[in-house]
Amino acid sequence: MHVETQDKQKLTVAAVLGAMGPGLLAALSGNDAGGIATYSSAGASYGYGTLWMLPVMALLLIVVQETAARCGCVTGKGFASLIREKFGVRKSALAMGALLIANTAVTISEFAGIASGLALFGVPKTVSVPLVALLVWMLTMSGSFRRIEKILLLVSCVFVTYIVAAFLVGPNWGEVALATVTPRLVNEPQYVSLLVATIGTTIAPWMIFLAQNNVVDKNVSEDGIVLQRIDTATGSIIACAIAWFIIVTTGAVLHPAGIEVADAADAALALEPIAGEFSTILFASGLVAASFLAACVLPGVTSSAICEAFGWERGADRSWDEAPVYRGIITAVIVASALLVIMPGVDLFQIMMSAQVINGVLLPVLLVFLVFIAQDKHIMGKYRNGRAWNVLTWGTIALITVLTVVMFGLQALGY
Amino acid sequence: MNYLSEMLRLPVLDVNGEKLGIVNDFGIATGEVFPHVTSLAFQGPGKTPFMISWRKYVDHVDDSGVYLNCPDTDIRFSYLQPDEVLLARDILNKQIVDTQGMKVVRVNDIKFSVSGENRLQLRLLGAEVGARGLLRAIHPALEHGVERVAKAIGKPLGEDIIAWSYMDLLERSTQDIKLSVSHKTLDELHPADIADIIEQLDPRLRSQVFAQLDTAQAAEAIAELDDDELVAEMIEGMTDRDASSMLALMDPDDAVELIEELGNEKAEKLLRLMGVKEEKAIRNLLGYEEDTAGRIMTSEFVALPSTATVQDAIDAIRKLDEDFESVYYVYTTDPAGVLTGVLSLRTLIVAEREDRLSDLAYRDVVWVEPDLDQEQVTEEMTKYDLVAIPVCDESRHILGIVTFDDAMDVIAEEHQEDLQIAGLSTGESTTGESAHSFVWFAQRQYWIAVWAIAACAIAAIAVTSPDAIGAGMDASRVITSEGLYALMPISIMPVVLLAAMRMTAFVKNTFLEYDERDDESKPYLGFFLKSTFIGVVLAAVVYLCGELMATTIFAGGDPLAISTYLACFRAAAIVIAATYASAVAYFAVLVRGEERDRGTSGTSLTFAAVLLSALAYTVLGAVPLL
Repeated sequence: MHVETQDKQKLTVAAVLGAMGPGLLAALSGNDAGGIATYSSAGASYGYGTLWMLPVMALLLIVVQETAARCGCVTGKGFASLIREKFGVRKSALAMGALLIANTAVTISEFAGIASGLALFGVPKTVSVPLVALLVWMLTMSGSFRRIEKILLLVSCVFVTYIVAAFLVGPNWGEVALATVTPRLVNEPQYVSLLVATIGTTIAPWMIFLAQNNVVDKNVSEDGIVLQRIDTATGSIIACAIAWFIIVTTGAVLHPAGIEVADAADAALALEPIAGEFSTILFASGLVAASFLAACVLPGVTSSAICEAFGWERGADRSWDEAPVYRGIITAVIVASALLVIMPGVDLFQIMMSAQVINGVLLPVLLVFLVFIAQDKHIMGKYRNGRAWNVLTWGTIALITVLTVVMFGLQALGY
Repeated sequence: MNYLSEMLRLPVLDVNGEKLGIVNDFGIATGEVFPHVTSLAFQGPGKTPFMISWRKYVDHVDDSGVYLNCPDTDIRFSYLQPDEVLLARDILNKQIVDTQGMKVVRVNDIKFSVSGENRLQLRLLGAEVGARGLLRAIHPALEHGVERVAKAIGKPLGEDIIAWSYMDLLERSTQDIKLSVSHKTLDELHPADIADIIEQLDPRLRSQVFAQLDTAQAAEAIAELDDDELVAEMIEGMTDRDASSMLALMDPDDAVELIEELGNEKAEKLLRLMGVKEEKAIRNLLGYEEDTAGRIMTSEFVALPSTATVQDAIDAIRKLDEDFESVYYVYTTDPAGVLTGVLSLRTLIVAEREDRLSDLAYRDVVWVEPDLDQEQVTEEMTKYDLVAIPVCDESRHILGIVTFDDAMDVIAEEHQEDLQIAGLSTGESTTGESAHSFVWFAQRQYWIAVWAIAACAIAAIAVTSPDAIGAGMDASRVITSEGLYALMPISIMPVVLLAAMRMTAFVKNTFLEYDERDDESKPYLGFFLKSTFIGVVLAAVVYLCGELMATTIFAGGDPLAISTYLACFRAAAIVIAATYASAVAYFAVLVRGEERDRGTSGTSLTFAAVLLSALAYTVLGAVPLL
């Protein structure tokens, strides 16, 4: 018996549009609670001062996502499998530990997003979080969140209104354009940690795993690489464009007014020019939908990767008896995140931001694995990383490492 | 020194104690049950890889290194032989199939046995796939620590080792290695087990493993896959010619099931590539409606003229193809082809060879029509204890038979649908105890959460917010008394929610018992009257109980309190009656769901009912307080 190698795919418009699903979805769901918090806080605190990051981010996001998708196309294996098979148990344990911490942090920030979104509707977090956690747990366990995935995505698309809002606000576009192309550094730990958070939320570790899993589940072969490139590139650019508009809007509305974003209600203010009194409702429902979607996806992605690396059974269709570890990790992540958010005296907005910083700090760990796998001749054959890609990935790793060191250094010096 | 993880990276020292490099890998000869280590791979200075014969050069191994028996100048390097496998490269950390436990696992470590007096022999015992191997690979101290703790709490950590002869390697690069005869590989397993394993693999590996099977095995394995989408995916991945010849090999009724999952165009293409006979058999079955006797019957059965002898019958059975459906009965027909009798195989074997079939046959044959619902076919088979039942047209010409294996699939399928409607998830019986109570709470007792939310809503409607209270009034006193009043409807609400849950249970039971689903008129009106009557009686009982409570609790109290309390009960009674009156809608949802062959989950139905009645009561129950 022979397995048919897929016919050479032609680059027709239909094929391109058909392939443009997963990347776009991943990009849109990337603008989750942590993303909104980070971007609006960046705009409010430093005006257009962080805009220059976003073109850089778009390029780096394309590099990382493309590499992950290419690895999936060539090997047909998930990122976790590849790490385990190339680096053995000890280093996979390190990588999976990093992923677990980063993703738990993000899940916490998603719950914080849900809590602060619902708080705008007047629901206290002690009520909303346990109930939402129970719902998320049930949906993840049964795998049935896919049924409502599209609806949530649609609701979370309200953040596209930031684009309209940006035009309505009418910022000085010349100034904006200049800020986008001139790198600027402020000698404050908050500014540096905001940069790390921006990187962490744009290039989240879980997106690497998700991008590769999407390709592996569809069993795309080497011939599909071109389409995957188009998909990841458009997705990354759109994601960064939305982030750019959020910073422009908040930078134009909140920064001159001197409003430091301290909670979700402050961030919602930026939408006032477009939605008026409904801006709070619009912002809150978008925040809740986006966070809820990510909260459903994240525990599953985390647990699936860990089980894949260590060879345990996984999948929503396996029972507790068959896949105790898989279900156990999901449950633990959800319970731990919910508990942390409920704790009294926790600043929800601060949690969302700190989670992105953790993400940013742990990202280099996983990127190092990714770049080593992608440049391995035995694994990738002729599709291995070119020089430019290697330089860019290593550059990202170096950039984040330097920023992290500077951030901790500045904090230690007591700025 | 029993594990690969302990031996990797040990220094390799020659007889003079000079370090040549560090251990990289071990080669084994694959032709044995417990294969010998035949070569040693090590990394010399400057990362140069070397390989030497184990038998010729290795003297002994201990914690401090691998000691060779001659100086480095005498060593001749060797190459990997075609029948050799490198343990660290090909097996460690890779996915393998445990052909005994029928699972896909990842190798965490590899265990050796050390033997030999004067010359050290290292044999491969098996692959360690359990938690111990993982812990050891992270750090041996961790393994010892966890092991001690595990022993202390009375659950010693066992080793989980798969012997070489029960491993099947999956990777493409290791496929070409010739494995020993004693090796039990994937293709020797039962097709149902192969299907289970295929379901556990990633898509890419899935098609690779599938490609190794020969067409007959692939046909059997694919018929055993439970997941319809997976089946379609596997067939899409094959060439049309292979897929078509595989379908032709299958029992026609199984083939029809697969073809259903494919797109029209693909199905047509595959059918056209088949032999005429197979194509006709499959097209015949496709002509019948889904879930009927015609769809699940097979056209492979033995029928002979009643004038034939026992010898003729036995000859006919002997001449059948190897892949013919199992024979349980022989049917007899008259010259016009009408079914006249049936014989069991036992009757044939016991009888004399010259006996006529017409004398032996049992004449009162039970048969079914092709458009009979499949569930009723299984009922007939259970009732008459048949292994197979013939399917005939109106003039009793036999079209095919339904065999018990297909009937059992039908029973399992219907059972699962019924369970789903009854609100149980399929895997629930196997769920662990602690998780079970969570699931039980999530599925049955969530009304408490609904109650709490609705209570907040009632309070939000009925209690004045602090900002709205004028400066002259004592805000805290006003709010406290209003809040206490709000407790009245809140305390009554569980009755409404529980009634709604009972209502859906009632609907589900009625639906499961209700059989004549193909009747022209659906008994909607009758059901509506019945459920409304129950609802009204229930509502009356609730209201009367309320009156009893009101007169006792508030005896001699403020008449306003009594009337408010009663008004709340009246609201509850109205909601209960309305809920039961709406039962027919839920019933219709279930019937429609079944008609469109779309499983409706009973749990979500109940959830909808509870939510709706909570919403209705929140509005109605808050009214008396305003």
